[in-house]
Amino acid sequence: MVTPTFKLEGVDYRYPDGRVGLSRTSAEVAEGESLVILGANASGKTTLVRLLGGLIHPTSGSVEAFGTRLTEEALQHGELSQIFRQRVGVLFQDTDAMLFNPTVYDEIAFGPLQLDLSEEEVRGRVAELLTLFDLRSVSDKPPHQLSGGERRKVALAALLAVSPEVLLLDEPTSDLDPRSQRWFVELARDLRQMGKTLVTMTHDLHIADEIADRILVLDEQHRLAAEGAPQQILTDLELLLSVNLVHEHSHVHDGIVHVHPHSHLHLHDHD
Amino acid sequence: MLPSWVAEPAPLARAPKGRRSLFLERALRRLADFAANVVFAECVARRPGYLQTLDARVKLISLVGLLAAAAFLRHIPPLWLLGGFVVAAALCSQVGAAELFNRAWWFLPGIFVLVAMPAVFNIITPGEPIVVLLRREASASLGPLVIPNEITVTRQGVASATLVVTRMAVGVLVAVTLTLTTRWQDLLRAVYTDLSAPFVLILAMTYRYIFVMLRFVEDMYVAKRARTVLPTSASAQRRWVGSRIAALFLRSRHLSEQVYLAMLARGYRGSPRTLTAGKFGRGEAAWAFICCALIVSALVADRLLVANLPW
Repeated sequence: MVTPTFKLEGVDYRYPDGRVGLSRTSAEVAEGESLVILGANASGKTTLVRLLGGLIHPTSGSVEAFGTRLTEEALQHGELSQIFRQRVGVLFQDTDAMLFNPTVYDEIAFGPLQLDLSEEEVRGRVAELLTLFDLRSVSDKPPHQLSGGERRKVALAALLAVSPEVLLLDEPTSDLDPRSQRWFVELARDLRQMGKTLVTMTHDLHIADEIADRILVLDEQHRLAAEGAPQQILTDLELLLSVNLVHEHSHVHDGIVHVHPHSHLHLHDHD
Repeated sequence: MLPSWVAEPAPLARAPKGRRSLFLERALRRLADFAANVVFAECVARRPGYLQTLDARVKLISLVGLLAAAAFLRHIPPLWLLGGFVVAAALCSQVGAAELFNRAWWFLPGIFVLVAMPAVFNIITPGEPIVVLLRREASASLGPLVIPNEITVTRQGVASATLVVTRMAVGVLVAVTLTLTTRWQDLLRAVYTDLSAPFVLILAMTYRYIFVMLRFVEDMYVAKRARTVLPTSASAQRRWVGSRIAALFLRSRHLSEQVYLAMLARGYRGSPRTLTAGKFGRGEAAWAFICCALIVSALVADRLLVANLPW
């Protein structure tokens, strides 16, 4: 039997102020798959990223990564922490939190340096990523002088610099313009072809449709509402309406008021 | 369904009486000026000048050497020699004279009044009088301080005040020139050692997040201004500032937690490692040699002047 990359069993998470982050969630992430987790705002996507990234730990239930239970004690142990951080990269939704170094160059170099790679290798990786992400012209700029899209690209480059096996991406397209979103979709497909495991949190159904092998849906009660293939999930209007991923929309066709769920995906036909 | 009053035009507010309080605007403008100054300093450090090409560690060591020399010199001409050299180096590095002096010397009049001026009087520096300011029947005492019957400006007092001000002016000129031509991150990298690593990291992150917080403050202010019809009183503004300081504190605490998680996620284990800084080439060697020669010459000249002093 193949060990899943991640396995969540009956996970509950409550923040210190008592708010529920995630409730009774069980799921698995297989090696090499591209899993998209869909959910409305505040449905628990960010909490789930942090749990999978070993940055917070469940109030009850368990999270396993590569067959090992993720606990605070286990991750404080130097060797496991280093191996886990090398294998799992996290893209944060707030780029201001993720980009804490003085320049773009230092930002991309930070991760590989913490993994004790040689300076020569680090400089080589940074140079390649700057070219790949078209960031050469801003390499010595501080993050506050970059646009939202550039910051997102730097954060992705910083993530890839450690070449993780698993990429946990929290709303990766939230600051991107349409061209950059297309660029991200192609990057995700390339990574997928290279055998990386992608876990992408989003409420953007377009992105889900383009990159997902499988979709999990979180509802507004922070629970797992559904799990399935993209075609199955994205055509289930009742489900998407109930979890607030599409909404009722009224407009007029030929003088007749017409009410239907609104999404930019093809969800209904006009007779 | 929207309420009907949404469709009606808003009634015009009454024109305010009295003067509008500008307390908040001024405070925020100063913050914006600070940000602009920092960005300006980075622009100078990015120009293709001589000092900008030098390794930050060499510049830092030369800065310490020149400042120490300025502190030891006891005569004005050798101090001017140091100052003149630094100004020449700045001008060769595409730093304009106005840019340099505006940043370096704007506070000198204040320093003169607060620190140096008391030293010109015989109360602080006894000596040969030049001008008599006040003459009284008898001397008086104020605690441990004895006030003589004549208050005068003394030659020695003027000399020592001029020396203090000149020393400060040259010291600030040296520091401003070298920091203006060095980017903040290069300066930080220059002081990076295993021992200083945590402090350097904290400093670098503080600098980075000052801008994030400034943007947050600016956004809050712009949002308030966009919805303010009538000017508010100074006390209302102070209340608003107080509440925004609290909001800023909460935001910075939340951000610091997130930054820590982001650091952990990228392999941080309590002892950060960064790339080592630069190079020591011919340019650095030439600069180091010139600085050493200048410091030695200035110290020797100072000694020779001591030997020829009339007092």
